[in-house]
Amino acid sequence: MQEQHISTAFDRDLEGIQSNIMKMGGLVEAAMTDSARALNDRDVELAERVRADDKKIDALEMLINEDCARLIALRAPMASDLRAVLSVMKIAGALERVGDYAKNLAKRTSLLIGSATIEGLEGSLLRMIKEVEAMLGDVLNAYVARDTNLAEAVRLRDHTVDQMYNGLFREILTHMMEDPRNISTCMHLHFIAKNVERMGDHVTNIAEQVIYAVSGELPEDARPKGILAVADDL
Amino acid sequence: MTKLPIKISARNVDVFYGATHAIKSVNVEIADKMVTSFIGPSGCGKSTFLRCINRMNDTIDVCRVTGDILIDAEDIYDRRVDPVQLRAKVGMVFQKPNPFPKSIYDNVAYGPKIHGMARNKLELDEIVEKSLRRAALWDEAKDRLQEPGTGLSGGQQQRLCIARAVATEPEVLLMDEPCSALDPIATAQIEQLIDELRSSYSVVIVTHSMAQASRVSDRTAFFHLGELVEYGDTSHIFTNPSDKRTESYITGRIG
Repeated sequence: MQEQHISTAFDRDLEGIQSNIMKMGGLVEAAMTDSARALNDRDVELAERVRADDKKIDALEMLINEDCARLIALRAPMASDLRAVLSVMKIAGALERVGDYAKNLAKRTSLLIGSATIEGLEGSLLRMIKEVEAMLGDVLNAYVARDTNLAEAVRLRDHTVDQMYNGLFREILTHMMEDPRNISTCMHLHFIAKNVERMGDHVTNIAEQVIYAVSGELPEDARPKGILAVADDL
Repeated sequence: MTKLPIKISARNVDVFYGATHAIKSVNVEIADKMVTSFIGPSGCGKSTFLRCINRMNDTIDVCRVTGDILIDAEDIYDRRVDPVQLRAKVGMVFQKPNPFPKSIYDNVAYGPKIHGMARNKLELDEIVEKSLRRAALWDEAKDRLQEPGTGLSGGQQQRLCIARAVATEPEVLLMDEPCSALDPIATAQIEQLIDELRSSYSVVIVTHSMAQASRVSDRTAFFHLGELVEYGDTSHIFTNPSDKRTESYITGRIG
């Protein structure tokens, strides 16, 4: 972090909030890894555990919001301190959403039990999840290191995720047209793919908040939007 | 910062107290009908600079001011400028309420009287009422105008001093930590008053309270060791200051 405050209690409060964010980030990363593995192995028990653990993530978000509210009320943070608190609240919100999507993935895994795996499709899906997971890991590192370059790199990588989603969308469509018996499975897989794409958006939002907290400015230029290509196909 | 009509303009202002260099080459343009706050640690020169704007430093023998300070493009340190006239145009409110040992009425009427602003008692009454209303003190003081000003509460005394300052129809109002001796209620009343005064005057306020500067002012200037470090829109200074020293000061870090 930066220089210390004259009031060490202020530093203590800020560090407490930051460490809770990191704890939350770790839980969300684990939820992503576990839900992907549960899908791959069709492991219902693991999927159930992901769903149960989401409560911990939600509780941490509430705790962080309460701590931030107290810090604002009692310490009236200014400048970089104010930005740190504002960004923490947004990052906690984004992490909570990513956790929710992982929970949803786990829920769909339970529903997919018994259905045949569709050749190739789930491999692509797992690669997409891996990519978003890696982005989440990097953005958390960028947050700790106050590294705007790394955050910006993560932000730009969301384009890749969008393209992966587009590819998956076409694949899923093809499988459904080939054999209507695949439709139910494919619908679930498509929802998962869409949710992972949304996770990527939330990770991108976190990257933007890291840039804001450090520099005081939100990135202005719009990211390349890969997702629009799908609409042309419809 | 957006361009606005300039009321006060300081160019290369240096101030010395004997051998001490208190203000170092300050350049600043203060907009009309706006609230500008000066912040900075004790001894940074903010009050000294404020006192240059109505030539209060003239009263200190060892004090020497160089450079130009212009109000409405006129040099206030020109030999032809009468400091007494200048101070009618540039009113001042101090840290500690300092009413004259006179009645509430006479406290307010004193300035208009010596500047010949009223032709008769009726006009003077009007000025007193208008000034007390402006300072949000009329309702509390109207039934006790002949009582001594020193008998009022601290917050009321400070509002009386503001009424006294506005009675001479100044164009600029300088306030040197006007709320530091007041409780939160009286502070809120003075801040509300500052908000209303901005429509008529250019208000410059020195304050040690970051929160007060951010609440009342449109623009903020940060002084440090006699230098004007940063000057800009208050919202910008308090969310994303450009200078490291400003950042350290307003976030309460050692710097």
